[in-house]
Amino acid sequence: MSSAPVASSVAGVGHLLRLALRRDRVRLPLWVVGLGGTIVATAASIPPLYDTPEKVAGYARIVGSTPVSYLMSGRQVGLDTLGGIVANETSQVAQLGICLMVVFLVVRHTRAEEESGRAELLRSTVLGRHAATLAGLAYGLMAVLLISAITTVSMLAVGLDAVGSLTYGVGLALLGAVYTAITLVAVQLSTSARGALGLGVAAVAVGYLVRGLGAMEDNVLVWFSPFGWAQRMDAFGDERWWPALLLLATTALLLALAARLMAHRDFGGGLLQPRPGSARAGRALGTPFGVATRLQRGLLIGWAVGLFLLGMLYGSVIPSVPDLIASNPEMADFVGAGGQAAEDAIVDAFLAYMFLFMAVITCGFVVASVLRLRAEEEAGRTEVVLATPVSRTSWMAATTALALIAAVTLTVIMGLGLAVGYGLGSGEWDQVLRHVAGQLAYVPGTLVIGAFAAALFGLVPRATGVAWAAVALVALQVVLGEILRLPDAVQAISPFWHLAAVPLDDVELVPVLAELALTAALVAVGIWGYRRRDAVSG
Amino acid sequence: MAVIELHDIVKTFGATRALDHLDLTVEQGEVHGFLGPNGSGKSTTIRVLLGLLRADSGSATILGGDPWRDAASLHRRLAYVPGDVSLWPNLTGGEVIDVLARMRGGLDEARRREMIERFELDPTKKARTYSKGNRQKVALVAALASRADLYLLDEPTSGLDPLMEAEFQEAVHEVRAEGATILLSSHILAEAEALSDRISIIRAGRVVQTGTLAELRHLTRTTVIAETERPPTPITAVPGVHEPVMHGNRVTFDVDSDHLDAAVAALAELGVRSLAAHPPTLEELFLHQYGEEVSA
Ligand SMILES: Nc1ncnc2c1ncn2[C@@H]1O[C@H](COP(=O)(O)OP(=O)(O)O)[C@@H](O)[C@H]1O
Ligand SMILES: [Mg+2]
Repeated sequence: MSSAPVASSVAGVGHLLRLALRRDRVRLPLWVVGLGGTIVATAASIPPLYDTPEKVAGYARIVGSTPVSYLMSGRQVGLDTLGGIVANETSQVAQLGICLMVVFLVVRHTRAEEESGRAELLRSTVLGRHAATLAGLAYGLMAVLLISAITTVSMLAVGLDAVGSLTYGVGLALLGAVYTAITLVAVQLSTSARGALGLGVAAVAVGYLVRGLGAMEDNVLVWFSPFGWAQRMDAFGDERWWPALLLLATTALLLALAARLMAHRDFGGGLLQPRPGSARAGRALGTPFGVATRLQRGLLIGWAVGLFLLGMLYGSVIPSVPDLIASNPEMADFVGAGGQAAEDAIVDAFLAYMFLFMAVITCGFVVASVLRLRAEEEAGRTEVVLATPVSRTSWMAATTALALIAAVTLTVIMGLGLAVGYGLGSGEWDQVLRHVAGQLAYVPGTLVIGAFAAALFGLVPRATGVAWAAVALVALQVVLGEILRLPDAVQAISPFWHLAAVPLDDVELVPVLAELALTAALVAVGIWGYRRRDAVSG
Repeated sequence: MAVIELHDIVKTFGATRALDHLDLTVEQGEVHGFLGPNGSGKSTTIRVLLGLLRADSGSATILGGDPWRDAASLHRRLAYVPGDVSLWPNLTGGEVIDVLARMRGGLDEARRREMIERFELDPTKKARTYSKGNRQKVALVAALASRADLYLLDEPTSGLDPLMEAEFQEAVHEVRAEGATILLSSHILAEAEALSDRISIIRAGRVVQTGTLAELRHLTRTTVIAETERPPTPITAVPGVHEPVMHGNRVTFDVDSDHLDAAVAALAELGVRSLAAHPPTLEELFLHQYGEEVSA
């Protein structure tokens, strides 16, 4: 190909990139401050905690080689050094954060724009066919580099080994690059931004889980995940650079695929083409609840499948927890002294953390589901509904009820997944009820978060983004609350902090009832506010 | 009894005063043209009537009730077509029509079939694939297929082609013949003229003129371009003729619509070789009547 068509197919990238930066002049700094800040805070919190060689040596034995740690953070090398500890504690937030960040940012500036029709206006100017994809790539990489640079600098700032810090940062950046490229493929496949987001987030989840399982079983599975490749650059151990080539090559291949897909599809089209639908509405579509259910059908099915599989994966590793403990001499001594009871306690602690972790994930669902109210309003679709005899109360109550009922249902599905995974792994099927009930013990926290989103929608619709900040805060409290030594007053903001650590502890009725009451109150306040405000976005 | 009565309505959005002491009366059984340039407050007025927005002050009555307080029960008797129709992307056009009709409390099956045929709508397509015109058709079919006492139509033809616009006008006539009341907003004078019994003109959030077409005639001017056999100087003396411009035997002038007759007679005296006339646009109307530029 001569250079002229290439140049013309990418014309206007600079304009698009500037436009993206202008549109995200709040959003991007929020990501950088939120994610970067968490990484800096984590890195800074470690050295004071591990200030003697004994404490450093104890980390590998007590924290770094537990099943939970393998599953969540993989097998980090050099755990007997401060660098390894910082890397291990940071990796969950940094790796998941950077990947989710690029998925959200890249979809927002590519498929979401195309779907909204705004991109059509832009395409009619001097803008090449591949300009949007390239601008998305450049923007994603920029955000990735920012976060990676912050990570490396904060590691250097707390006095960690320079080569290790740099290797870790490079691994993180390349991981982000792979997911930028994956997202660019996803936006070619799906005709909707929501679908592209789903694909991107699913790819993050799969990569993360595969690495986690591989690390837990210490097998080759680690090498089937970009998360594994980045980690196996072995920062703070015997650094090696060839896994970086895997990441680079994958990025290049995916980008080539994205470009190819882009070149062969219509504007606004995708590989997943819409089929003709029904000319008449089914019976269920006659009530606000029916409509809300239909509008969220895809979301519900996607989450149900995803959470069931996640539950199964986590459930399937529980039976190997005792073996893992037995392979660690100090733990084995401890358990040996305590006998079966001590072993059970460790399995229960593992379970409690899994339940909590999965409950936090459902917060993402419940907020997305409740905030469909806002999305509908902003798209101007609520107007037509409210112009019928449907009242604001029934419209909002229907959507909110759907979200909360779905959250409970998904929790049960997740618990079932865990029980099935456990059954398959252990051959024992007598734990089903215990696992489902255990998972359900955490659902009040999820409901409070959903109700909080509903209250925001009713009272301060422009600030519904705060609900996502609440989800981030809850996740932060669960993942890093102890390590960051957040004051109790801050941790208490998370509704999960008040709930008993089932099955390690027994359910406490008071916090459960209090949170259910709070849920009802928040929803009521939201509806009260919604009835009083203008029902038009602006 | 009036179906819609707005008195002294004020609605602000932050610093923007969208409605500025607006008065509007729509009588039972009439097609009321609600005419104004972009941003003059037409959609805001209609949203106040629907109880979607709460007026800061003033009094509002619609179908004998309070649009804010009695919204849900009033909506049983009215149908609405928004100006910028947005539909659920993953529902088909047919499903959207059914959903809205059922929420409104039922639909007339025969009318639904007839309207879909009339507007040549494919109800099996997902809404995300519809053009603006097709989305508008879906909203129109949903509104017209349910029998309502009052139709609130916000610039309903802005995406339709001329053929569909004609179908729309036909449908409006039928609905009116059945005794329904229609509030039809538009920024095109000719469209409002073609359909309306009475017209209210809104400008910067305030209704500046209300009346039947005949009553508003004095407002409208026709632009005439003519070529005559003899020099057209005498035309300048005809009352109601404004700003004549002459190039030899060619003359261009504006004439008040109620003096059109005299002007045409005067031209006939001079021997007409060619004659063209066009009604004023809304912008010209405002320019002449209020001596202000209308910002689009
Ligand atoms: N939700 C809103 N928030 C802020 N300003 C608005 C909102 N809706 C309308 N406006 C403003 O009110 C004025 C009237 O708008 P609108 O009623 O939509 O006009 P029209 O329908 O006649 O074009 C405009 O200046 C518009 O910008
Ligand atoms: Mg409007």
